[in-house]
Amino acid sequence: MSDADALFRTVNLTKVYSDGSVNALVDANVLILQGQYVAVMGPSGSGKSTLLNLLGALDRPTSGEVFFQCQPLSAMRDLDHFRARQLGFVFQSFYLLPTLTAAENVQIPMFEIGCRAAQRARRAAELLELVGMSHRAGHLPRQLSVGERQRVAIARALANRPIVLLADEPTGNLDSHNAAQVLELFERLHQQQQMTVVVVTHSAEVASRAQRIIRLRDGRVIDDAPSFSTC
Amino acid sequence: MHFGTLIVKNLLRRPVRSLLTATGVALAVGAVVALLGVARGFEDSLLQVLQVHDVDIVVTRAGKTDRMTSVLDERWGQLLAGLPGVEAVTGALMDVVDFRDANLIGVFIQGWPSDSFLFDQLPLRSGRRLHPGDRQCVLLGAKLAEILQKTAGDTVQIEMHPFRVVGVYESYSLYENRSAIMPLEDFQRLMDRQGQVMAFHVKVSPGPEKAAAVETVCRQIENLSDQQGRRLPLEARPAYDYVKSTLQIRQVQAMAWVTSVIALVIGAVGMLNTMIMSVFERTHEIGILRAIGWRKGRIVRMILGESLLLCLAGATLGTLAAVAGVYWLSGLPVVAGLVQGKISPVVIGQGYAIAVLVGLAGGLYPACRGARLSPTEAIRHE
Repeated sequence: MSDADALFRTVNLTKVYSDGSVNALVDANVLILQGQYVAVMGPSGSGKSTLLNLLGALDRPTSGEVFFQCQPLSAMRDLDHFRARQLGFVFQSFYLLPTLTAAENVQIPMFEIGCRAAQRARRAAELLELVGMSHRAGHLPRQLSVGERQRVAIARALANRPIVLLADEPTGNLDSHNAAQVLELFERLHQQQQMTVVVVTHSAEVASRAQRIIRLRDGRVIDDAPSFSTC
Repeated sequence: MHFGTLIVKNLLRRPVRSLLTATGVALAVGAVVALLGVARGFEDSLLQVLQVHDVDIVVTRAGKTDRMTSVLDERWGQLLAGLPGVEAVTGALMDVVDFRDANLIGVFIQGWPSDSFLFDQLPLRSGRRLHPGDRQCVLLGAKLAEILQKTAGDTVQIEMHPFRVVGVYESYSLYENRSAIMPLEDFQRLMDRQGQVMAFHVKVSPGPEKAAAVETVCRQIENLSDQQGRRLPLEARPAYDYVKSTLQIRQVQAMAWVTSVIALVIGAVGMLNTMIMSVFERTHEIGILRAIGWRKGRIVRMILGESLLLCLAGATLGTLAAVAGVYWLSGLPVVAGLVQGKISPVVIGQGYAIAVLVGLAGGLYPACRGARLSPTEAIRHE
């Protein structure tokens, strides 16, 4: 394994929230390779969402560093551009814009990469096709089931052709049928497009679909091992 | 989807609030457009009177801000007429009277010498112009005659004196159409101002460099002295400058601006409140937009776009209401002839410019506040 294969590498990553009382993450050293499917597990408050936020440049560490393709995030001048171009985010509560249709929601990230309206519409149609939501393109989020909303949110995450998908409890609000569909979609993206997928989850079943499981407790990495079901 | 579509959809999310905010802006911009429109119409009308009569220079008493209090010796007109470059001079007296029987207040009466060049551009609708030797006679403007229901041959009471209507004129100016003209001598007697005029109207000889000639004549007039060598207290201004400096017009404009500024502050505060609420309600969404890579600048553009669009919609509503309102007002007998039914495009442009300022003022702080939100904190916000 060489540094060239490393997508994310964290060095002594620590996050203390502003009141100083909560050590959300303590000296976390994690390596995520290009094309890996990684699950981050742990109980509530273990620091898994904090780790995801730091990997996704949504937050700044108190100390330590996150390297993306060997570049320290702290040295990046334009983290917005980094998030828009390289990362796709999927959230537990989907967070679709309620006044926009499914197709319009998918187009939202594309405003930052300077493509024309027609290109945005074409790309959104392709992505909705990919997630099996073409027939619901003109529907508003409130007209969609929760599973459909999450598939639209995944299409939105893929809008700018990111190289990594960061998902925070993506099945947390879904029933088992919809959860299975979402996980199949992640597997398909990982296998067919060699996309790196990092999933934060409570669920052992969700984690079991990943190649690797990173376990956290009290902000510390306590285990980093292959998932038995896939290796 | 275009960026503008997103902005429109964001506003339509709370249609009642958006409508109320736009209505607030409409009231503010409508007040600005209507008040400034009326003030500007008043100014245009006065300028039109002078231009129609080929008046190049207006001479009033030096140091008098209020034209109505200007008192000049009628005989000084002969000195003015003798200056090189002056083609004609006429003294004029003006005052404001009421016709209470007709519920008409603030009607301008002008006293002109019967041989004044001002009569040359005063088309008559009926009757005749004033002749030398006419006494207790009056010419009525078409609008005034219509309101008083008088025509040539009738008698009107002015300041409790009877005057015979010898003709009705139709001026190009609304302002003049609502006034009356009587022989200067009659008016001096009526106002107890014998031998006095309020102003001299000067017509400069035509030539290729008219503007320069007007300036030269103005300087000559202001340097005139009496037989004892004392400088005459005269102030000469080109017609346009004179209108601009007229106290009543400046007062009307000042009142229009003061009222407008109050209306605009209220509009801007309303907009600020709406946009702050809107940003607060969408904290979560703004966090998501920042998380998926939207730059702060795009968040600012989105929120400012919403604010500007609301203001432009309000400006359009307000302008339409102001145009309709002023048109309706101009038809009322009590102000007929004082208010022009049309609003200048310049004033409408000012209304829109002010709406943009309101949009920026009301939207900038919420936009910056929205853009400063940390993605993680905004996403956690409930």
